[in-house]
Amino acid sequence: MDPMTFSIIRHRLFRIVDETVITLKHVSGSAITNEGHDLMVSLYRADGTLLMGGVGFLHHLTSAAEACKAIIQRFRGQIGEGDVYLLNDPYTAALHTSDIYLVAPIHHAGRLVAWSACFVHVADIGAMNPGGFAPQALDIYSEGFSSPGLKLVDRGEMRQDVLDTILNMVRSPEMVSLDLRSMIACCHVARDRMGALMGKYGAIVVDQACAALVEQSETLFRARLRALPDGQWQSRQYLDVQGETARVLLTMTKLDDRLVFDFTGSDPQSRHSINCTKWAALGGLFAPLFPLLCYDITWNEGVIRPVEMIAPEGSIVNCTRPAPVSVATVGAIQSVNNAACTTIGKMLAASDQYRDQATAVWHANHFAIFKFGANPRGGYSIGILTETFAGAGGVRSFADGVDIGGEIPNPISRMANVETVEGAFPIRYLFRRRATDSGGPGRFRGGTGGEMAIVPHKAPAGGIDYVISGKGARHPMSEGLAGGYPGAPNSYVWVHAAGDAAEGPVSADRLETIAGQHERVSWGVYPLHGRDALYVRWNGGGGYGDPVSRDPVSVAADVRSGVVSDIAARQVYGVSLKADGGVDAAGTTSLRQAVLAARLAPQEAAE
Amino acid sequence: MTGLAHRNILPTVVTEGVLCRCAACGQALGAATEPWKAGALRREVPLAQAGGAAFDTGYAGVVLRQFICPGCATLLDTETATAGDAALDDRLIRR
Repeated sequence: MDPMTFSIIRHRLFRIVDETVITLKHVSGSAITNEGHDLMVSLYRADGTLLMGGVGFLHHLTSAAEACKAIIQRFRGQIGEGDVYLLNDPYTAALHTSDIYLVAPIHHAGRLVAWSACFVHVADIGAMNPGGFAPQALDIYSEGFSSPGLKLVDRGEMRQDVLDTILNMVRSPEMVSLDLRSMIACCHVARDRMGALMGKYGAIVVDQACAALVEQSETLFRARLRALPDGQWQSRQYLDVQGETARVLLTMTKLDDRLVFDFTGSDPQSRHSINCTKWAALGGLFAPLFPLLCYDITWNEGVIRPVEMIAPEGSIVNCTRPAPVSVATVGAIQSVNNAACTTIGKMLAASDQYRDQATAVWHANHFAIFKFGANPRGGYSIGILTETFAGAGGVRSFADGVDIGGEIPNPISRMANVETVEGAFPIRYLFRRRATDSGGPGRFRGGTGGEMAIVPHKAPAGGIDYVISGKGARHPMSEGLAGGYPGAPNSYVWVHAAGDAAEGPVSADRLETIAGQHERVSWGVYPLHGRDALYVRWNGGGGYGDPVSRDPVSVAADVRSGVVSDIAARQVYGVSLKADGGVDAAGTTSLRQAVLAARLAPQEAAE
Repeated sequence: MTGLAHRNILPTVVTEGVLCRCAACGQALGAATEPWKAGALRREVPLAQAGGAAFDTGYAGVVLRQFICPGCATLLDTETATAGDAALDDRLIRR
């Protein structure tokens, strides 16, 4: 194929994916899709293998390929032009039940030539807790509607009986209907634009270009791997739920042009819904791999071929039915994201050529809080606190992480404006800002996470309730790199106070000044009624390098802006500040010498 | 370091010939065939004391492990861990 035609077709495929995402967002009305960008659209070849990964949550790219393959197998001989299929069973391909895949065949001249697949986190899926994350679920049967594959649209006609059945099982049918229709629109655009591409260049030429694109990705990725050091790097993640702790242990081995991710040593599957299935774990490790190792390579099947995953059956990263998995995306999958980010970061940092591509773990711990209850318009609202998508930038080997800078697995994530949330729910924000000392200390500091507090406001039922699937309140999850510290862990505090909203507005500018009894919470369903408040602090990114080698002027600037405390400046960074906030050079030298001396003092025999 | 060709395990730790060394000062950390952390000083700091109030979770079971060069006191690597968990093992593979 001539390189010009190949390049044009490649770029057309990129633009098709971009346009489908725009379509999905234009039709969808949910905050989690439009604000959090909890979505994904990708293109697949006729056999279901990944052709062109799109943006959004990247751990869906490979799982949706399995969804395509499952639909091909289940409906072989019955797949027609204009069909759209639905799949959301985690034990078939999906990550959890509330992330619904819509998979649509693309035909040209009567022949199946490709697939599109997309997902959004639907407003509700009928699990025992509203919103899809079900911390109280005991098994997959209590996590809502789950299908290993059904036909939702038959040759362009909506199967109303199927749609009505689905909507009959969810709490917010009007929003779920909109979610599904936004994905159908997305599939239509993918089909139309792919059809136009093939109409212009011919299906055979386009297919040849797609095959060449996959081969190109494999060739480029294997070459990149060969340029990196051979070695093994490890990472460990802790998931704490209700006083129980589960470990995800990863050993990544890179040899020549192969990468093996081995999760041997990870804990058995949990009774809590933090587990993930095999396909979900695979997607989880690819989420950081695509942007960190293939930032200039097309994300497709060619990148997948050099990679092997070992995930022991019955473990937290390859659980067996009917283990609950509804919290997987912010549970075991995110820990797989983090662990893979750490090992890839270590490998990159070990390379003189690629060290400036290394990063410590970014936003490591979603808190997944779903608000639900009566709204002032006479309706019922369910929605996530989109601050969970705000994230924290992981540090690089040459610069600080970006404060509240998003996350690696979703390059386009963001949070909603305060006013948007207050307009949809009867709540009011007391404050929302960067969180002091949340960024992992280091020569370069991890990006900060944030902190916020909300209270009920003009709630017709006196307040609302929320489902919280928080972990990481005991263990930092955003590991540092090369001597950098991890980002600070999450914190969730329910402030419950006597009285009701009629006594006047609750006012406070920080957690310590919110009146009432402060109780740490992290898992379950809690009220936000009367004069209650909910405080959340989310993790910062990991740091890079020894904190006592950080430029003291940068530490002073961090203290002035409130992202580092005076105590941390002295104890962790070894920086002494003058009364005017400037650096006390002599005092800093003395402090740093003391920190280094203390490190060499006997404490414990080396391992 | 001795000037021999070296390869990084991490930015802070290299192998040079048959030895692992601190990348900053060249302090030997043991045989290149063994986990380099065996030759480093290991300190364990309760998480609550690690980096300001944000690290105080109210739970005492987690520590920040620090692996330190015994020569120049540079912080070579950190891990968060619970008691009894093995140190993570990062190493190069020779072909």
